[in-house]
Amino acid sequence: MRGWAPRGRLLLTVVVGLLLAAALAAVAWVQVRQHKLLDATVGYQDDYLQISLNQLQSEYLRLRLALDAAAAAPEAQHEAVQMRYDIFVSRIDLLSSGRLGRVVPDREDLAPIVAQLEAFVEQADTLLGPRAAAAFDAAAIDRLRASLAPLDAPIQELVLSASHYVSAQVAQRYEAVATQGRIGVTLTALLAASSVGFALFAFQMLRLEERRARDLETLAADLRKAQRAAESASQAKSAFLANMSHEIRTPFQGLLGMLQVLDSERLEPAQRRQLDTARRSAQHLLAVLNDVLDMSRLEAGTLALTPAPVDLRQVFAEVRALMGGSAGEKGLVLETDVDAAIPAQLWLDGTRVRQILFNLVSNAIKFTERGAVTVEARQRAGALVLSVADTGIGIDDRTRARLFQRFSQGDDSTARRHGGTGLGLEISRSLARLMGGDVTVDSEPGRGSRFEVRLPLTPVQVPAATAPAAATEAQAPPAATRALSLLAADDNEVNREVLAAMIEMLGHRVTFAANGVEAVQAAGAQRFDLVLMDLHMPEMDGIDAARAIRALAGDIARVPIVALTADAFADTRARCEAAGMDEFLSKPVGLPELTALLSRFAAARVVRTA
Amino acid sequence: MWLPAATAQGKPAATVVLAVSARAQAGDKAPRRTDFEPGQLERLPQHTIRTTTPWYSGAHEFSGPLLRDVLDAAGVPARAEGTARCTALNDYRVDLPLDDARRFDVVVARLLDGKPMSVREKGPLFIMYPFDERPELRTSVYFSRCIWQLKAIEVV
Repeated sequence: MRGWAPRGRLLLTVVVGLLLAAALAAVAWVQVRQHKLLDATVGYQDDYLQISLNQLQSEYLRLRLALDAAAAAPEAQHEAVQMRYDIFVSRIDLLSSGRLGRVVPDREDLAPIVAQLEAFVEQADTLLGPRAAAAFDAAAIDRLRASLAPLDAPIQELVLSASHYVSAQVAQRYEAVATQGRIGVTLTALLAASSVGFALFAFQMLRLEERRARDLETLAADLRKAQRAAESASQAKSAFLANMSHEIRTPFQGLLGMLQVLDSERLEPAQRRQLDTARRSAQHLLAVLNDVLDMSRLEAGTLALTPAPVDLRQVFAEVRALMGGSAGEKGLVLETDVDAAIPAQLWLDGTRVRQILFNLVSNAIKFTERGAVTVEARQRAGALVLSVADTGIGIDDRTRARLFQRFSQGDDSTARRHGGTGLGLEISRSLARLMGGDVTVDSEPGRGSRFEVRLPLTPVQVPAATAPAAATEAQAPPAATRALSLLAADDNEVNREVLAAMIEMLGHRVTFAANGVEAVQAAGAQRFDLVLMDLHMPEMDGIDAARAIRALAGDIARVPIVALTADAFADTRARCEAAGMDEFLSKPVGLPELTALLSRFAAARVVRTA
Repeated sequence: MWLPAATAQGKPAATVVLAVSARAQAGDKAPRRTDFEPGQLERLPQHTIRTTTPWYSGAHEFSGPLLRDVLDAAGVPARAEGTARCTALNDYRVDLPLDDARRFDVVVARLLDGKPMSVREKGPLFIMYPFDERPELRTSVYFSRCIWQLKAIEVV
């Protein structure tokens, strides 16, 4: 769009509008004038007065005739003369009424004529007036005839003068009407021209508008296309991240597993410290990886919650057990408290609640140099409120505003000092929101911070007997009471070696299968205490293999099968259950998880065999 | 009916001020003629129009019977179509649609400002329309229908 165009257009609109208004006003004026011109009253009166003058003349002649007739027989004609005289006088009235002035332009000519007529009437009235005194005889009639005769010429002049005047008036009126007509035609032409101009202008504006609308539409379409492209790029990125994380996690299992196995061996103190550093680094790397994976799933919308009955007090105990160590190392007090009013079992995704709490507590510990970290669970307004309060460095308003944004982590100096992915808070808030709640923060720099996780409170009614069972499960003896015979199916050699090292360290025996087909063959050939089944394998995957094992004849078909997988999707879990698998263990499998699993099965087997 | 009485009383022709001829009805040999004397017009319901006219300066009162009452008295059917041909003493003549008598309160004026009009004063009868009351009448058509020195009406 050219810069001058809007102002120019405005000016043009105003000018054309004014022109149109002026033309319309002129047309209205012309029509009003025309109406006045054609208003017949005045004209009629002029015409009418002319007719009256003509009649005056004819009455004058008739009176003369009547008097001529009366000269011979005055008595017989008296009444007829009286009538003619009265009519004649009634006509003279018009001259004195003043209106004649309009018809007779030269008043100086009129005055003597009127005077002459009035003189005649005065004389005649003595004979024929209302109070006539003189005798109506031949002599009187002759006198009247004598004074009536000279009026002939002036009356004739009056009639002619009036008719000339009226003709001139008619001509003038005609001229005026013609002029009006010309003006009208001109104005109509002007009006038509400005209407056409306005129409053209409006048409052009319309076309301009249309073009602009088209441009906008094109722009909108481009934007939509760009948005779709951006969205698909973002999804591709998320998918890539998920894949990469998955690919990285598998070899990671080997690394971590081996580090854990090594840890348990007899080591020199220096070697132990080096190993410890290596293990912490690996664990940190795994945490980063998990954060990235969670974030990419949250972003792609593929993260599914798996709510189940959860004992919040047990979750808090786990937090204390896991984080207590690092708090103690920094000389901090870690306090946890669950309000007695909170039901024993809540309907929650325990894994995700743990993740949020671990994240907030580890942050609190990270940013607190001395004092305490307090974790509390309260019931407020029908909601579950988990709070993590610390006495640390706190957060200023500016930082708080972008605290939950990606890769944001206080100011740059704290980021350097404390490290981390910067995804933790965003993931925590996203998870809380996914669960129908939120994470909020309240803080004062230098005094500490208080994070609150608000979640919907849904109590679960459970049989009293199952609660202690969960407790005993958590406190299961760490060591196996009896050696188990295991079958482990995994296509990855590193994984197989890690599993072999850990299982043997725990005092159990293991047979390996490199794919599903081998696993089914092995399970059919020998009775195992437990099968560890990787899901993604060539030839036949874990799910098909589990289904095949369940389809075997006899007792061996009922061997417990535990699925091992790196992807923790809810539908994967459901498919495993559908295939007849008993448990689900997330990769990478750590020594503690494997220990807990195997000791549980060992104990169960003891119970069963006993 | 007025007709027999009017004819009976209409013998002294000198006092007749208005002669009205209705159209011949079935069985009539000639148009029915009714001669009105001043008293007869006076006995009809009187009506006054106060109006300005081209013939006098200022507003004046014109009083007399309504034209439709005069026509009715002369035996002209109320719904008759046609024209009243009016003639003045000087034989000036104008045609007036009968419809005018029904649509407007047209007066056959005998009195100007309460006084009888002589021939010199455009009398004795002056047909008058209510111009001030009905401004739409102020056109040459209706002004020309106001005949003065009226002497006869013939329904044609």
